[in-house]
Amino acid sequence: MKHAEITLKVNGIRYTVDVKPQRTLVEVLRETLGLTGTKKSCNEGECGACTVLMDGKPVASCLVLAIDAQGKEILTIEGLSKGENLHPIQEAFLKHGGIQCGFCTPGMVMSAKAFLDEHPKPTQIEVRKAISGNLCRCTGYQQIVDSIMAGSEMMKRES
Amino acid sequence: MEEYSVVGKSVERTDGRVKVTGKARYAGDLVAPGMLHGKILRSPLAHAKILSIDTSRAKALPGVMAVITGKDFPGIPFGTRPDTRDQLPMPITKVHHFGEGVAAVAAIDEDTAEEALDLIRVDYEGLPAVLTAADALKPDAPLVNEFIKSNIAYSSDFLFGDVERGFKEADHIREETFSSQRVTVGFIEPHACLAEVDPTGRILLQGSKQSPYITWRHMCRALDIPLSKMRIVNPFVGGAFSGKHDPFDVDFAAARLAQITGRPVKIVLNYDEVLAAYRQRNAMDARLRIGVKRNGAITALKAECILEGGPISGIGPFNIYYFGAFMNIPYKIPAIEYHGKLVYSNRAPCGTVRGQEIVLAQFALDSLLHMVAEDIGMDQVEIRDINAVTDKWRTANGMMVDVSGLRECIKRSAERIGWKESRRGRPEGRGIGFSCASHPSGPRLGGHFGSSVMLKLVEDGKVIITHGGTEIGQGANTVFCQMAAEVLGLPFEDIIQGVSDSDTTIFDSGMFGDRCTYWDGNATIAAANDLKRQLAVIAAKELGANPEDLEFKNGRIFIKGTPEKGIAFLLAVRRAYYERGEPLYGKGYWAATDIDLVDWKTGKGNLAHGLDFIATGIEVEVDKETGKVTLIKGVHGDDAGQPINPAMLEGQVNGGSAHMTGHALLEESLYDENGLALNYTWRDYKQPTSMDVPEYTVEHVHTHDPYGPFGAKGAGEASSCSTLAAIANGVYDAVGVRIKDLPITSEKILKALAEKERR
Amino acid sequence: MFIKRLPRFEHHAVTSIPEALDLLARYAEKADVYAGGTDLLVAMKKREKIPEHLIDLKGIAEMRGIHLDDQKGIHIGSLTTLAELEGSIVVKEKFGALWDAVNVMASPQIRTLGTIGGNLCGAVPSADTAPPLIALGGSVKMVGPNGDRSVLVENFFKGPKESVLRKNELLKEVFIPNPAEFASGSYIKLMRRNAMDLALVGVAAYLRLDSNGKTCQEARIALGAVAPTPIRVPQAEEVLTDRTIDITRAGEAGRVASQVCRPITDIRSTSGYRCSMVEVLTKRAVLEAYGRILRMR
Repeated sequence: MKHAEITLKVNGIRYTVDVKPQRTLVEVLRETLGLTGTKKSCNEGECGACTVLMDGKPVASCLVLAIDAQGKEILTIEGLSKGENLHPIQEAFLKHGGIQCGFCTPGMVMSAKAFLDEHPKPTQIEVRKAISGNLCRCTGYQQIVDSIMAGSEMMKRES
Repeated sequence: MEEYSVVGKSVERTDGRVKVTGKARYAGDLVAPGMLHGKILRSPLAHAKILSIDTSRAKALPGVMAVITGKDFPGIPFGTRPDTRDQLPMPITKVHHFGEGVAAVAAIDEDTAEEALDLIRVDYEGLPAVLTAADALKPDAPLVNEFIKSNIAYSSDFLFGDVERGFKEADHIREETFSSQRVTVGFIEPHACLAEVDPTGRILLQGSKQSPYITWRHMCRALDIPLSKMRIVNPFVGGAFSGKHDPFDVDFAAARLAQITGRPVKIVLNYDEVLAAYRQRNAMDARLRIGVKRNGAITALKAECILEGGPISGIGPFNIYYFGAFMNIPYKIPAIEYHGKLVYSNRAPCGTVRGQEIVLAQFALDSLLHMVAEDIGMDQVEIRDINAVTDKWRTANGMMVDVSGLRECIKRSAERIGWKESRRGRPEGRGIGFSCASHPSGPRLGGHFGSSVMLKLVEDGKVIITHGGTEIGQGANTVFCQMAAEVLGLPFEDIIQGVSDSDTTIFDSGMFGDRCTYWDGNATIAAANDLKRQLAVIAAKELGANPEDLEFKNGRIFIKGTPEKGIAFLLAVRRAYYERGEPLYGKGYWAATDIDLVDWKTGKGNLAHGLDFIATGIEVEVDKETGKVTLIKGVHGDDAGQPINPAMLEGQVNGGSAHMTGHALLEESLYDENGLALNYTWRDYKQPTSMDVPEYTVEHVHTHDPYGPFGAKGAGEASSCSTLAAIANGVYDAVGVRIKDLPITSEKILKALAEKERR
Repeated sequence: MFIKRLPRFEHHAVTSIPEALDLLARYAEKADVYAGGTDLLVAMKKREKIPEHLIDLKGIAEMRGIHLDDQKGIHIGSLTTLAELEGSIVVKEKFGALWDAVNVMASPQIRTLGTIGGNLCGAVPSADTAPPLIALGGSVKMVGPNGDRSVLVENFFKGPKESVLRKNELLKEVFIPNPAEFASGSYIKLMRRNAMDLALVGVAAYLRLDSNGKTCQEARIALGAVAPTPIRVPQAEEVLTDRTIDITRAGEAGRVASQVCRPITDIRSTSGYRCSMVEVLTKRAVLEAYGRILRMR
């Protein structure tokens, strides 16, 4: 079997694509679907840049075969906002200096979303643990933690 | 303190929205029609002759469009200085370090390109490897760089003031050695480049480059093409920290393969390649000797350092110079003698890293200062306060410190971290370490070292700004929009960031040395004033006033003192466009020609404006049984003049400190005895995670720099310079052991504790 | 030398154990099973393993799920992810040593994918789930063409990356007997940094006290990352059995444990440091387990 025709549901949209079994999810997202918001860096699950959500849980998409992502709800950074309407977590990152070079940002925001969806009233330590799989070299993490704490407040107000 | 409308406010970053939605494009995200994918074959040896490279089988693989080696380039070496041109795009006669790229392939897809690499046969003849400075300096050491007849790449010998007298006057003298390890730069985005060549031979380069100007100059030289034959358009850059100034084989190979195939070629590295073969910070060995009076005042300093730098000198000469020249800040030192050497080796090539060599110099100096303070029974905060440079201090090598808020920084840091209380009593294993540091806002390296900005007025009243700097995350784009908005009296949102394109922008000399806010900022103000003048002439006519009597504020242009006597900014714009048919541009540049050019030989001169100051206090806990260090809290008192964007400034301070936490405690690029890299994976190269760094607090100390834009100073690198010593001093304060060779590992702490026990 | 894109392979998704065993029989050395893939895919990118056939086990329902049998113990399907274990209240409350391990393993993104079966089958000396399972008296059930067999986790490992699981067998589930009254365990992992890191040393301790909560009737101590396999240390356990637990006793158990372990020196740490840390961590793990029992009463 050289190619498999698979259907992936990404950000609510169904895509039917022809992929080789050895294609990982991050490759298909970026190269086939043109969703380059999800980044690729170490390609071995040690940096978090490729973090997307599968059925609401954070995964290293460089270690998920595209084939295995079938039947799941995949959420990437592109799926968080609708046009100019940003998710409260994204607004919080903008307000609290959580972004510098921006390369870790998509993975960081997705990890934050998965976490806040399950833990709406976090402590700072819990937030640090939730993003402990996302490397950042620019910010020193402080303002990212502040952004996620603020994001949780904003999410509470919206609900 | 002046009240500004936009400057001084923590406005949202201009690039925030595109980044937080995943829409920002980095080099690896770019695509071009007909694009080929490139991969690089790397040397498995640290030092070896290249006897032959057989690319025939790779070329024959279906889907492979071109294969190149070092021989496909003109063979012209390049380098930072005319006398240090020791680098080729890709090696020709020999490989110099593990992982050095020896061949590159362009193919229709990545899998084919990877497969092609396996089909290239390289015949090597191993050579003995030089790994450490000691190795390099042995009399019979093999020569590392084929262009230079010595393993000493550069040296600096400076003498400021009367050092002999200074030591004679000292009441107490202490001499210590310090060392620091190889570390990688550690930005998260790996190197990537997309190159295309048009039918006239013009190359378009879009790469993850920090200083496109440096890339441009070096590449055109080594490719033997005129500057006008290369156009650089810079995408977003995912972190740089001085690891992305030079052009690498990634950039050269993409360009050359594009030339040969006539198609766009993109090369994106995997991060393990970056860890193995790209920019690291020099390993350092230093010996410092300090003299102080009984009251703690420093009387003299003698410093020797050797930087081991890999097989090319790169920015190394600058590092050696920096180490010595900037020992003159942040403390008042009347006499300094300095000898520095940069040596070649067969480990990964070095550039510099966030904070430059001041990071290493300050680690040594502030650790030593802590030691002498203890020797003479003086409080750690007090000794720093006594020696802190003050306003209008002229350093021993001739630098003028225009404004120094350092004493206030020290006071606020000490208060905030609870220094006094900690002296009365603290839990077992806890301590606080201090260090100060200062970083200049950009020295003047050579003739073309200016910054320029262009403002284009759009007919709907908005302004598009293009500046020569590069947004690498530090917030360059945003602060200049703030400054332009302030001068023109427009809302922040009316200033739009333009593209970073060498065809329309004059690139400045590069994003390093904390120069960006300062130099490009002053250029922004000049450009805005230029535009303002032109609009003032038009508005003056409208209002029947003198152009000099007009003020620009809140989107209006009015006569000073009588705001109702004015017109909308937009009206002046329309007059220009529609009635005069005159599109308006504001041009500005700033080149700090009033300070001295770097004098490489003596290190003397008024080297820079805008010295920013920081006083860092870090609370540390050491587990005496495991030797593990936990950072509890970090406080930074920071004088960056007038903060342009306080939130972004805090981000810079926090980030530098967290980065150096890795250097202090966790990181080391390891090599085996043959020079093969051992831990070139993030699985084994440990950069700090969110759980490895403390909460940071920044105490802003507002001053006004007389030459800085709106009184601002550069602020990107001070905390990088103060953190290493603060942590080392904190460990000492916590458990009484002094570690002078970085990184401070648990093993070293336990060993030192055991020795202390025995004594 | 450097990480590449995955090599070519044929992919087979199975939904039952017989299906999987059949494929394993058919493709033998040319096949590898996987669930989370967090170890296998990395090994394949590094070309350390190049299986021509990949068998995805995630569809096998009977290898999923956490079932607590009040009489006997807990059955954990080998496909249970580390995140599922982390989120399991019964695991946290009743089998705390195992929970301690998953709490500090890898990263959130890897815990979602990685499974307890994968961690055990990978059989690296530093596998974090191993010492707790050994200390808790856990066992694994393996299924093959000739039926089921069970083995205590402490007898599961043979050497670095080597276990008693045969190439034509699957690890079906992990079983941990219910803790006795007045018993508890703990696992402590020493890492270079505070997250996303392998164990330099890992120590699990399990204590069962008498009904007065004074004398230790049973002790089990297991070490990870300091020998070719995770090991149990009966010599250290003897120090605690039939004695009252206090800092000195715990320290003595640590000292004995540190003499039994055989760690190596590698780029991550030295054997000397690892041995010293076995002593410290064993003491702390014992005291932590002890503290938990006291708090339960």
